[in-house]
Amino acid sequence: MTHLDSELKQLRTDLLDMFELVLSQLDKSKQSLINLDKDLAREVLVNEKRVNSYELQIDRDCENILALFNPVAVDLRFLLAVLKINSNLERVGDIAESVCQFVMNFKLEPEKKLLEASRLLEMFDVSKEILKTVKDAFEHEDTKLARSVFTQDETLDEININAHTIIADYILNNNDRINQSLYTLSMIRKLERVGDQCKNIAEEIIFYIEAKVLKHKSFQQKQETK
Amino acid sequence: MRFVDILAKSTKQIKHHNMFKIESKDVHLHYGAFHALKGINMSIEKNTVTALIGPSGCGKSTFLRLFNRMNDLIDDIKIEGQCLLDGKDIYSKDVKIDDLRKRVGMVFQKPNPFPKTIFENVAYGLRVNGITHKSFIEERVERSLKQAALWDEVKDKLKKSAMALSGGQQQRLCIARALAIEPSVLLMDEPASALDPISTAKIEELIYELKSDFTIIIVTHNMQQAGRISDTTAFFYLGELVEIDSTKKIFTNPNDTRTQNYITGRFG
Amino acid sequence: MEKPDISRKRLAEAIAFWIFRLLSLGVMGILFSILGFILYKGIHVVNWDFITKMPEDGMTKGGIYPAIIGTLCLIAGSMIFAFPIGVMSGIYINEYTKDSWYRRFVQLMTANLAGIPSIVFGLFGMSLFVNKLGFGDSIIAGSLTLGLLALPVIIRTTEEALKSVDDSYRHASLALGATKLQTISRVTLPVALPNIITGFILSIGRVSGETAPILFTVAAYFLPKLPTSIHDQVMALPYHLYVISTSGTNINESRGMAYGTAVVLILIVLILNLIANAVRRYLGKKYKTN
Repeated sequence: MTHLDSELKQLRTDLLDMFELVLSQLDKSKQSLINLDKDLAREVLVNEKRVNSYELQIDRDCENILALFNPVAVDLRFLLAVLKINSNLERVGDIAESVCQFVMNFKLEPEKKLLEASRLLEMFDVSKEILKTVKDAFEHEDTKLARSVFTQDETLDEININAHTIIADYILNNNDRINQSLYTLSMIRKLERVGDQCKNIAEEIIFYIEAKVLKHKSFQQKQETK
Repeated sequence: MRFVDILAKSTKQIKHHNMFKIESKDVHLHYGAFHALKGINMSIEKNTVTALIGPSGCGKSTFLRLFNRMNDLIDDIKIEGQCLLDGKDIYSKDVKIDDLRKRVGMVFQKPNPFPKTIFENVAYGLRVNGITHKSFIEERVERSLKQAALWDEVKDKLKKSAMALSGGQQQRLCIARALAIEPSVLLMDEPASALDPISTAKIEELIYELKSDFTIIIVTHNMQQAGRISDTTAFFYLGELVEIDSTKKIFTNPNDTRTQNYITGRFG
Repeated sequence: MEKPDISRKRLAEAIAFWIFRLLSLGVMGILFSILGFILYKGIHVVNWDFITKMPEDGMTKGGIYPAIIGTLCLIAGSMIFAFPIGVMSGIYINEYTKDSWYRRFVQLMTANLAGIPSIVFGLFGMSLFVNKLGFGDSIIAGSLTLGLLALPVIIRTTEEALKSVDDSYRHASLALGATKLQTISRVTLPVALPNIITGFILSIGRVSGETAPILFTVAAYFLPKLPTSIHDQVMALPYHLYVISTSGTNINESRGMAYGTAVVLILIVLILNLIANAVRRYLGKKYKTN
């Protein structure tokens, strides 16, 4: 293995670790919400600093590799992709953090009815699923898997679009839980962004492996470029 | 103070003392009236690769040749300051030049194997140093060729002339020849500048691997090469050491604007 | 702009080319006509008896055997003396002296030595080796005198041969901890050897044909026996040639013998050249530098 190869391998490992960390952040934020576990929420807030330091570390490594090795072709695309995936992942981390911040503000345990009606928990599961998918796609350099993200994201969009009528209905019937309802809506808005970040990550993976640029293409076009 | 502390402290001191394999302290060098090196201070750690970069005539090759006293071959030269190898001044009177050169090997810009067989090329350093034991020489030749990643290519033609090898192979042979006398320091003066890209890549990988056994100083005109293989980079300009720092630092955020301008190709 | 006159340029080129070609052909023509003339005049007297018999009847009959042996002895003797000294001087000048007034002075003196007329060497050899050192007219006196004559050629070519050895070999050797002497004996000299041999060939040619230096130091007018020691006189081909064509007992009778002697002398030089060339070629291959 050449020197550059070993550096790239290290970078890949670091990014996968960061994926893992962000996934667990999402999972923990979900758990903290269900049980209104503020300790767990606090843990997520603390761990967010680790996500940030991963981001800085990976940024610096990319900068060094670019400066020292002048990579070209697939190596260059890999590095550019890693740079962008890195910042997308960091944003997903931020989303988990802000969910937990809402949890910290909750006075009462969220009502099961609300969570179910708004499909918030389902949303958590789907976003975790999507993030897991892009992680696997990155790990195994699987563009087919990466493309499946575009379909999965539809679910999140759908939940998000329907959310505000559902929440509005809920508020009409539960005047005492207005705050909680608004938090729930905000969380849904946030989690919808996870899907968008993962779509960006998927695009970067496809760019790195196939050298195809999928940005700003419609869903249809993305599927066609296979 | 407890005994353990004393022990810890003394080992720390020893460690500190041995930390630098090579040091130069305020070295000035004059060729006749030309002031080629102007007060160079540098400390090089063991088992690292240090790249010396800078425009032609900046003194980097001259600086490199201080450490095996190859500059002594030039007439009318004056050296001031101290050059230390393992903490000892190599220009002091009790240092024999040929002993020094056994400890500090050198690889030149142009591959320069002797017009002898491959085997004799590698054995040369051993023979001139008075080693005659046949199996010892054979063993050492094989090991050196392996270290230089050349063994597999030449093991069946050790008795053939070294001149029949390709340029890249010749250069690796020259590296093997230098390794055979087991130096602890390896000086390389643009070792890949006369080679094609594939051979260059092989030499670079080799340097990266040799780092674990040797302390390497390499002069290079190729900035990317410095980036790829070195831990530390030193930028020379007009006989001065402008900046020395970790290669990552030099290549991403050098302190001196002259360094920045040079590595970005804006002058030199 | 005026159109360049290409046809005129071409014509000038063609004329120059043909002048050079004719001149070089002329030189070869002269060489071959001399060789041809001598062979034509002399080849019929050259036979086995001619080269293995003693001269008879006032050198008008018989062979030139002692002169051949004498010349070979002188060539060998002078080379034994001049080759090592010349090579060592060349090494000294090129490897040990710095490029200074001293080196230039030594080089100038060597060049002057080469310019001294050979008869002066003969007189010098006579006064030093024959008289002062008391060798008398002998192979050793003649060889030393001829050796002196050959010395500048050998020194000069050794120097040039060493100069043409790339410095990178010396540096590589020194950088491996070799001493200067080891570097010279193991690397520099072997690489330079083919070119040094050239100097050797040139000096053999020079030595074998000289008459003046041996005139007063070794050559015998007529001595129909072989030398037994280095203190003996010998006959030598060039001197024998001179004798039988200018002051023999019967110049007309020995005319054919004179041409035959010339043929043998030329052949000896030619054969020695061929041998030396083969050695040079072999060494050149062994120490091929590129």
